[in-house]
Amino acid sequence: MWHLTLRNLLAHRGRFALTLLAVVLSVTFISGSLMLTDTSERLLEDQFRTASAGVDITIRDAAAFDSAMGVEVERDPLAAGLLDQVAQVPGVGQAHPVADGQGVLEVGGEAVVPAGASLLSSYSPEPLGAFTVRQGRAPENDGEVAIDLATARTAGVAPGDTVAVLTDHRTILKVVGLVGFAEADGMPGATVALVPLHEAQRMLGTTGGYSEILVTTTDDASVQDVLDQLRTRLGERYAVSSAQDSAAASASAAQEQIGSLTMVLTAMSAAALLVGAMLIANTFAIVTNQRRREIALLRAAGATTGQVSRSILGEALVIGLLGSALGVGMGVLAADGLRTLGAAFGTDLPDGPTVLSASTVVISLLLGLGVTLVSAVGAARRVARVAPVEALRDSAEASPATRARGRKRSALRLLPLGAGLAGTAAVLAGAPALVLVPAALATVAGIALLGPAVTPVLAQVVGAPLARMGLPGRLARQSAARAPRRTTATAMALALSLALIAFMTVVATSLKEGLSGTYRETVTADLVIESSRAEMLGGLSPHVVQEVDGLAEIATTSRVRYGHWLDGGTTSALTALDPDTVTEVTDLDLVAGSLDALDSGGVVVAQSVAAERGLAVGDTVEMTFSYTGDQQLEVVGILESLDAQALSTSWFVSLETYAEHFTEDMDASVLLRVADGVDVEEAAAAVEAALVDHPTADVRDQATAAAARGATVQQVLGLVTVLLVLTVIIALLGITNTLALSVSERTREIGLLRAVGASRAQVAWMIRAEAVLVAALASLLGLGLGVGLGAATVRALGQQAPLAVALPTGRLALVVAVALAAGLLAGLLPARRAARIDVLRAITTH
Amino acid sequence: MTTTPTTTASSIEAPTMRPPAATATGLVKVYGRGDTEVRALDGASLVVPAGQLTAIMGPSGSGKSTLMQTMAGLDPVDQGSIRLGDTEVTTLSEKQRTLLRRERIGFVFQSFNLVPSLTARENITLPLRLAGRSADTAWFEELVTILGLGDRLTHRPTELSGGQQQRVAVARALVTRPDIVFADEPTGNLDSRHGQALLAFLQRAAGELGQTVVMVTHDPTAASYADRVVFLVDGRVVSDLAGPTVTTVLTRMAELEQPASRAGR
Repeated sequence: MWHLTLRNLLAHRGRFALTLLAVVLSVTFISGSLMLTDTSERLLEDQFRTASAGVDITIRDAAAFDSAMGVEVERDPLAAGLLDQVAQVPGVGQAHPVADGQGVLEVGGEAVVPAGASLLSSYSPEPLGAFTVRQGRAPENDGEVAIDLATARTAGVAPGDTVAVLTDHRTILKVVGLVGFAEADGMPGATVALVPLHEAQRMLGTTGGYSEILVTTTDDASVQDVLDQLRTRLGERYAVSSAQDSAAASASAAQEQIGSLTMVLTAMSAAALLVGAMLIANTFAIVTNQRRREIALLRAAGATTGQVSRSILGEALVIGLLGSALGVGMGVLAADGLRTLGAAFGTDLPDGPTVLSASTVVISLLLGLGVTLVSAVGAARRVARVAPVEALRDSAEASPATRARGRKRSALRLLPLGAGLAGTAAVLAGAPALVLVPAALATVAGIALLGPAVTPVLAQVVGAPLARMGLPGRLARQSAARAPRRTTATAMALALSLALIAFMTVVATSLKEGLSGTYRETVTADLVIESSRAEMLGGLSPHVVQEVDGLAEIATTSRVRYGHWLDGGTTSALTALDPDTVTEVTDLDLVAGSLDALDSGGVVVAQSVAAERGLAVGDTVEMTFSYTGDQQLEVVGILESLDAQALSTSWFVSLETYAEHFTEDMDASVLLRVADGVDVEEAAAAVEAALVDHPTADVRDQATAAAARGATVQQVLGLVTVLLVLTVIIALLGITNTLALSVSERTREIGLLRAVGASRAQVAWMIRAEAVLVAALASLLGLGLGVGLGAATVRALGQQAPLAVALPTGRLALVVAVALAAGLLAGLLPARRAARIDVLRAITTH
Repeated sequence: MTTTPTTTASSIEAPTMRPPAATATGLVKVYGRGDTEVRALDGASLVVPAGQLTAIMGPSGSGKSTLMQTMAGLDPVDQGSIRLGDTEVTTLSEKQRTLLRRERIGFVFQSFNLVPSLTARENITLPLRLAGRSADTAWFEELVTILGLGDRLTHRPTELSGGQQQRVAVARALVTRPDIVFADEPTGNLDSRHGQALLAFLQRAAGELGQTVVMVTHDPTAASYADRVVFLVDGRVVSDLAGPTVTTVLTRMAELEQPASRAGR
């Protein structure tokens, strides 16, 4: 039978080409995502390992945890005297102090603001430092700086030029050299400014302190011994770790930051695979149905049911292997494409040679092959039921017997849909939101099962406008209704893609509207200063508020800070505010207790959290801070959930309490109330003028600030939508494929239409109309499903924090319009083929 | 100012007052090239009188189907001229031939005649609707009544018997009042009772309704219903028989096959 399988594949190359393409695309997506993840991990590890290649041990101030949500915690500077202490430990070769922090580079009066960090560091000569001087020389004296090559190139800086670096103040420096980062010309998404140690300390205001001490060991001492020695001598106050460990920790923090992208990619790969599977299953079903006579002949000639089934699975095996192999190859290109896409939507990934690991190849091949085989199982089973006597019959239409059985089964088929709808209803009525996941799956399965029963009706309804446009439209509608299973399967693949898009759109828009809506209602400030960069903790220098405080146009300034802490091992966030001034720029409603009580060092929690944990005013909670470790804080107030949401977290402390437990010294935003009688725009201009030395500080009015709340959600939505468009493309291939097969099946019928006077244009329009009809059907199913489940999800989320369903009708209408246009596009090829059918051959060949 | 009756179905030479419905002159149609070359038509000429049922007969491979297909504008010819009324078919473009088929020609095929997703009524009116015209209600009703399809109009082809399906096809061919109806082995898939009913109808359509019909057949019984039988051998019209009976047709066929076999073809 192998011989026959291969012969058959070669004979029907055209029929299988699109199936192969579907496998290739699905696998490309998966392998591309895997490769991108591998590559990013490898590059990040390399990057941090390079940075500590010449160092054995690093010493930093101790912290309860190293990083949270991908942000490394800040630590207190090390005292200058520590250096001598370290140098005296036996086995220590060199002890080299480093001071580093943030310093925005300014070239020709223009701030250079990268997507990532603006690194300012003391220069460490190789091999301790990872930067190598490529041009000019290293900075040796005060007033000298070295810039990384990549930044120098883009900003047009050469040795001899003068630049400024902005810390709390502006420092004018002369560029004496350009450096590279190991092999690369710079660090991805960052600017690098290297100055002598003393200058760095002065610029960063560390008053003689160090950020860390880099230690090398002498040749005769083991790293582990020196490590133990240092730990014993320095005590708990200091974190002494091997350079390898701290590099790994930094790398994992950076990887956590790109973790969300990896998650999105994985989810989207799964969606692509699912849509691909539906397309593959559909093609196999159609192709085997067209070959019923041939299969019956084989059976009549003595082939067993097992043999004919295996020949179908054999075809799937060949297609799956070939498609997966091609997909892995294409994945290399896809990884680059996805990286570009990620960058366009705000997640910068390190760029470098793509890593093709064995596990990527194996996973991609297995998934591609597995999905193709599983998708072909249905067709293989159906083939086994082909009776030899069918070879003698004339028509390939379904026999009445199978129809009757289908009807009997339809009662059972209602089950999944019923269960799905019941589950969704239960969630709306208050059941846990997680119930939605199985409910959604059951609903999708239910619709797929019921499709053949409802498609004819739906096709009649959806196709009504087509039918009014003439006979070809009516024929298209009837053709779609005539093969309900095929139409449903084709439409379902597209419907699923559209459902995912609609779901994401509804949920994301609701979240975004919710976020900016509550912000608008709660934060009543006239002006808001925020960093133009999307830093996790805000990233405004504390000097910003000082610059603004004295302005005559401003009546009140109130600072807001964010911090990470551990909530019984889980990373959580808190907001720090000034209880005295915050009431003038916000409208915060407390359910119990008071904001003023925050002065005593306690914590205010959101009502939703209080309810969840049964907290009341007077209770104590344990919070773990990086700087001070485990602390007991008293609950002094309970804040309305929506107000808490407007301030981004569920936990609130005063700025004084924050200062006790955190080393971080960054404001997230500064809320301003304009003085009486001063125009807001006028005040904004004054504030901007005062902040001329803080190029990353953005002055926004309240509406702009509110709109910016959902920016991250919007970005994620954008990325996900672009990725889902790829699944839509796979689904469109399905429409093209199904119609092409359908055209070849209906050759005689189309020939007849042409013989009795249908023009080529009419025949082509009939096929295109059918494609659009399938797309319309898919839009209806997909949007219904996506919007319904999206709304249910939003309602379920609303159980924790009030959230209203927002329906972005414009965007959804756009999705439908694009789907219909794409359907038209998908129909072009089959329509061309149908129009080119030779009338005579169609009606005379038997 | 005396006129003789124009429709004397049995009269052989009596010239009708109507000009011929179609005239084919010196048709040549070649399939393939070199060694595989087949001259399906090799100088075939034929005049189809209006308002008559003309049968085309010939042994298989004689080119009778090709003759019909080229005259109907389904297939272009390599040489020769086909006039349908006063239209020269051979010079028409593909698009014009489509319109010609739609407006002026009707078809009845041996099988696969109907669009499975359309009802009988919709199948009958298909050519009209493709042209965007509405049916002549009186004519439609008359056809349906004569063909006995009155109670089958809402049925799909799969719910009709073979005879009914073929009658629907005939109604579809006639509904546009075409200049000429081409029927390719119309009784080929029917049992003799249904076949004869269909032939009787075609005869009536020509005799009473004045509909020109050209029928390709290999069945002498079917041919005997025609006003005139044209015999084709090796792509040429070789003989012509008016007022045929089964016996005269059989005799003529036997005569024609002898010289052919003697020539070793």
